[in-house]
Amino acid sequence: MGPLPTPSRRARRLLAHYGLTVAAVVVLVFALPRAMPGDPLAFLRADNPESVDPAVLHDLQAYYGLDRPLVGQLGHFLARLGHGDLGISIGRRVPVRDLLQAHLPWTLLLIGASLALSSVLSYLLGCAAGWRRGRPLDRLVVMASSAVRPIPTYALASLLLLGGAVTGRLLPLGGARTPFAHYASPFAEIADVARHLVLPVTALASALVASQVLLVRNTMVSTLGQDYMVLARAKGLPLRLLQHRHAGRNALLPFVTSVGLQAGFLVGGAVFVETVFSYPGMGTLVLRAVASRDYPVLEATFLALALVVLTLNLFVDLLYGRLDPRARTG
Amino acid sequence: MSRRARERRLGPAGLMGAGVVAGFVLLAVAGPALAPYRVTELAGDPLEGPSLHHLFGTNSVGQDLTSQLLAGARASLVIALLAGGGTLLLGALVGAVAGWRGGATDSAVMRVVDVVLVLPPIPLMVVLGASIDPGLVGLSAIIVLVSWPVYARLVRAAVLPLRRRADIRAAVGFGASTGQVLRTHVLPDVGLVLIAGLISAVERAIAIEAGLAFLGLVNPTRASWGSIMRDALDFRGLFLTDSWRWWLLPPVAAVALLLVGLALVGTSVERRLDPRLARHQPVGVDG
Repeated sequence: MGPLPTPSRRARRLLAHYGLTVAAVVVLVFALPRAMPGDPLAFLRADNPESVDPAVLHDLQAYYGLDRPLVGQLGHFLARLGHGDLGISIGRRVPVRDLLQAHLPWTLLLIGASLALSSVLSYLLGCAAGWRRGRPLDRLVVMASSAVRPIPTYALASLLLLGGAVTGRLLPLGGARTPFAHYASPFAEIADVARHLVLPVTALASALVASQVLLVRNTMVSTLGQDYMVLARAKGLPLRLLQHRHAGRNALLPFVTSVGLQAGFLVGGAVFVETVFSYPGMGTLVLRAVASRDYPVLEATFLALALVVLTLNLFVDLLYGRLDPRARTG
Repeated sequence: MSRRARERRLGPAGLMGAGVVAGFVLLAVAGPALAPYRVTELAGDPLEGPSLHHLFGTNSVGQDLTSQLLAGARASLVIALLAGGGTLLLGALVGAVAGWRGGATDSAVMRVVDVVLVLPPIPLMVVLGASIDPGLVGLSAIIVLVSWPVYARLVRAAVLPLRRRADIRAAVGFGASTGQVLRTHVLPDVGLVLIAGLISAVERAIAIEAGLAFLGLVNPTRASWGSIMRDALDFRGLFLTDSWRWWLLPPVAAVALLLVGLALVGTSVERRLDPRLARHQPVGVDG
């Protein structure tokens, strides 16, 4: 191949990598139920063997393509997926697609808000702590994050729920909006949704900050000794510029990478947080689906959340290319 | 104090963590002898407060929460051994083979690792767990299956540079047996990585087991700290009385305390591993 402009080569390589991973996820979702022991339709017969009409069973097998050979099943599965057909919820008898459409936006809202808040907080706190290493603020940041980081998100969220309940319910403890509310204006609606977001976002964002702030702090500490920092200081540049333009931008790189690495943790954390605060996102969907072993729903939630994680990773990779000029030519 | 002895020391924070962990291990081992009731037994009135009969009160159907908390400690210990140990074992084996062999083996293994690492672990384990009987052995298998790549990558990174190291190449060149090379040259360097990895894998496994129970993936005949929390949160009137104090708070405190204790031990091991890493935590994906 001739010498191509490098950005497009990088973009193509990224695309190939993510295409491959998406394919792996789809094949996994296809293979999982088939690799598991037992007949996927056994639950129908297990409860009450006489109640199932053989004709109905046959129809179901045809609908899910279970009467074909494995390769044919994969084709059938892909064709259905291509049409956005994710099957029917066993527990609730509605298309899984409708359930996803109702629940996914709330999770994306929760994840987006938590990620934005935690990124700003981790960056600012980490920079400030690393800049003044060993001072009281630094010690507080290190101690608090070490104490909070090992605590699982569901325990952290439960503690926040307790705190919210005990302090007299200043904030709503559950749901995404006030039931049966009539909003006078769109702003009132936004305010209501925001109030319901406060506790869930606090829970998820504090888990994220606890695991990221030390990374920013440590990178900050290690950049302080670099030659370009000494030079910038010798030039007499204002400290604020030094801290954020010179040191901060470098501290940003490992931080951005860690956001990609933690995307899976973020999604799992959102699932837990939602089940604590009855937030109507994917977590609540998962909770109900687990209770009724609603396999099509669980499969679809895994597929959707895996795609969210992959998208986030792709975004991080693209952002990294913009932040670090070295990555563009690499 | 000799250098060796000093290296073996955990430091005050690490010792405190080790004490907490030891306390939980004792409770878990002695659990069946200490527990006054069976986990599912209706041992008292609903929502009894703490008393001499029920140290941690009862839940909304009158089950004794002391017994359930002890069973939860035991579940955590079993998971720590089976899932935590299994995860590190599989991860270390795969990572060591990939790092030692290098070449095509290495890149094939790491490609698999990269794909598994990018999958969201909790939703994946929920899908896997929903189709089996979620006993402790089944859950452990699932946790190992999803978690090993984290540790394969860790161990591979530790083993990879060894192949080029002069002392090891010399030992191999002088005809040292594989066992001898491993014992005298590899283990002293990789040993601490393995211990740090084991602690981290145990932390992760305990957090995940309670988390999956929290989502309802639990065998109804057993108790887990996660399932106690879930029962409490599902009870509509939890905050109408004081019952949250003895029902929701103790399991949350137990899982938090145990994991913070383990993390304290882990941090002091890591600090000895590389003093430059002091207090730096690797990016984790634990539940």
